[in-house]
Amino acid sequence: MGFRKLASVFAGATMLMSPGLSLADETCQSPYMPKITGEEEFVYVWTLGKEGIGDESDKLVTVDVRKGSDTYGKVVASLSVGGRNEAHHAGFSADRRFLWAGGLDTNKIFVFDVHSDPGKPILTKTIDTFVKDTGGAVGPHTFYGLPGRMMISALSNDKDHGGRTALVEYSDEGEFIATHWMPTAEDPRGAKIASDVVDGYGYDVRALIRKNVMLSSSFTGWSNYMMDFGQMLEDGEAMKRFGQTVVQWDLHSRQPKKVMHVPGAPLEIRFAWGPENNYAFTTAALTSKLWLIHADDNNEWHAKEVADIGDPASIPLPVDISISADDSRLWINTFMDGKTRLFDISDPYAPKQIYEKVIGDQVNMVSQSWDGKRVYFTSSLLAQWDKKGDADDQYLKAYDWDGKDLKLQFELDFYKEGLGRAHIMRFGSSKLFGS
Amino acid sequence: MSISRLISLALPFFLCLCFAVPTVRADNWAVRVLERSMTGSLGLPVPTHPVENRPTADKIRLGRKIFFDRRLSLNRTMSCGMCHIPEQGFGNHELQKAVGFEGRSLRRNAPTLVNAAFYETLFWDGRETGFETQFISPLLAANEMANPSAGQVVALIEELSDYDGAFEQAFGQPVSLHRIGEVLAAYQRSLIAANSPFDRWRFGGDTNAISEQQQRGYQLFTGKAGCSQCHQIGETSALFTDNAYHDTGYGWMREHERQNPPSHHPVEVAPGVVFHVSRKQIDDVSGPSLPDLGRYEVTQNPADSWKYRTPILRNVALTAPYMHDGGFAKLRDVLDFYNRGGASHDQQSPLIRPLGLTEAELQDLEAFLQALTSADFAELAREARVEEPDNW
Repeated sequence: MGFRKLASVFAGATMLMSPGLSLADETCQSPYMPKITGEEEFVYVWTLGKEGIGDESDKLVTVDVRKGSDTYGKVVASLSVGGRNEAHHAGFSADRRFLWAGGLDTNKIFVFDVHSDPGKPILTKTIDTFVKDTGGAVGPHTFYGLPGRMMISALSNDKDHGGRTALVEYSDEGEFIATHWMPTAEDPRGAKIASDVVDGYGYDVRALIRKNVMLSSSFTGWSNYMMDFGQMLEDGEAMKRFGQTVVQWDLHSRQPKKVMHVPGAPLEIRFAWGPENNYAFTTAALTSKLWLIHADDNNEWHAKEVADIGDPASIPLPVDISISADDSRLWINTFMDGKTRLFDISDPYAPKQIYEKVIGDQVNMVSQSWDGKRVYFTSSLLAQWDKKGDADDQYLKAYDWDGKDLKLQFELDFYKEGLGRAHIMRFGSSKLFGS
Repeated sequence: MSISRLISLALPFFLCLCFAVPTVRADNWAVRVLERSMTGSLGLPVPTHPVENRPTADKIRLGRKIFFDRRLSLNRTMSCGMCHIPEQGFGNHELQKAVGFEGRSLRRNAPTLVNAAFYETLFWDGRETGFETQFISPLLAANEMANPSAGQVVALIEELSDYDGAFEQAFGQPVSLHRIGEVLAAYQRSLIAANSPFDRWRFGGDTNAISEQQQRGYQLFTGKAGCSQCHQIGETSALFTDNAYHDTGYGWMREHERQNPPSHHPVEVAPGVVFHVSRKQIDDVSGPSLPDLGRYEVTQNPADSWKYRTPILRNVALTAPYMHDGGFAKLRDVLDFYNRGGASHDQQSPLIRPLGLTEAELQDLEAFLQALTSADFAELAREARVEEPDNW
């Protein structure tokens, strides 16, 4: 074990054992990770390249969000990685010194140093052997920092580009550690199948450390997430291939314990932060339902549908969600109508929508600061799923939230800037790393 | 080395063992496939191989490797085998139309390659004349494997160490574009599966091989329904194709629908949950849909508009979805279309007419089609997976 790896494990363990130290990051990050205690300084936007826009390459875009800075609301760095890899999600290592960003198409993983100069990330490593390393997993999606290693949920496989896939672990140094295939009907891997539905699909992965629980959700395979969205809606065969499950795992042993039935492609998973709150939310994209994944008094986990999101019959397509640090609010973006919706989740069994605002013709990702006062939105869902023509606006928009309304602070047009399709956002700050 | 490190290193190997195909040995499979490729299967004629490209075990082995090598595309994600999936009948059950490089749309369904050795031309519109040259089209097409040039692919294979000596062993010569075509042809011509219950009944003398219902279906297939006019059955073998092009009305119907789409489309978002999505909502997220004029695109002869080559029906129960665009999910959908007499447009083939089949007759006919499934079909998939697909 190298010194850095040892330090990472030690840092994670230390955070777990320190009762006075907040374990939280800006609301949706791995709890192992140090958080930004003040205001974020930079927003990193993992951006898809687009033919005819700029250099056409995927890139990590750094935007200055220091209020009062001369470059506030401006792009201060743009680092192209080459190719269109279907840039999608990214996540920090548990020590938050590196940002791992994946390509759902080419399966490349780009590791950026975000600590040496948080305003100008450096590409330090490219892992281009993901499929070979893992024995056939395709589409590295969520990057969830665990002490000393990165847990990665994949979306597909190299046999048929369908939805059967795996969770994958790499060390912080970028060395492959293990592949954990999702439970299937043929090989449930010891998991209890709650209601005769098991698909082996993957999407997000998140953990509740004190309950030793890890949850994974389920989307669809390469063939669907890469194909033209309109074509897919009219392809009855393709529409049959969406995830219907959330899997409960033993966090430490990585064993699947239970497969819960959550139809309609459950995507992002967000655990509540409160020490007494043994639940997580997820949204089913196609059926536009908000689901609660919760533990009962006997520590048995269940899935319960708790609210509609908009009018499900119009397929609003809920995409990214963001839970507030006090577990009272949940932002839910709906891609098709370009709205963000705020739900009161004080009673997790009966969430109610209390606010909505149109952000753009399309909206995908949402990230809020730890204090909930600043909320950022980006536009791109997937290259072939984004809207076409004039409705394909690509942006980063920054708002202040005063508890009643979102007030626009700045917006960046990612096409006019020659950048591409704006996807996931992650926050950076020099204060995390000292002088 | 720590125990945990040892376990992490051993785990992938163990998993490989767990997922390994148990019945196909890596060392002898190609020899057995070569024998099949030379002798054929009950119900099919002996395959014809070009004099200049006689198959060998080495060619078949190398052709299989290239067929599944995902590195041989511009961004290392596509291979022949990503659309022609062995476990899905060497086609794709999960998509109506194929999806290629960077998710770009194709206009047509990926057809099964099993028994394609018996086609006189290749692709739905017959634009290619042989396997030895067919591969160049998908290799270079911007919406398939998107390689910048054929020469780049040859150069890449030269560079990849796991191909060292392979072409020299097969040909006594190094890799070339021509030889890549020859090994791919040798492998694809080996994908033969007949010896179905129908074959055992019709050509093998086993009078009990198919049920009475299937025998009634056979009588309809060759009689009232008229299917065998194009899906031909001979005295000693049956190709179930006439290798000719026909306008069944289906292509014209689909083009008419493309130009006049319905205002709403039913979308099943989860099992049993169907929403009727508006055309505007679909169009908002749709790229351009392109027309498909069939054989006309090859000949430029208006008389060939919406003609497609008659597909071989062997193993048809395993090769859904159906038609050139995968527009029918079930065999029964296909039968209903032909029972209605196709689309009844001016250029439609006179062979396609209302059939007047009763419900019982339609069931008999479908039962007969089920009898065309080869017991050997699954073996082709096992052979295809004798080694893992190559990745970067």
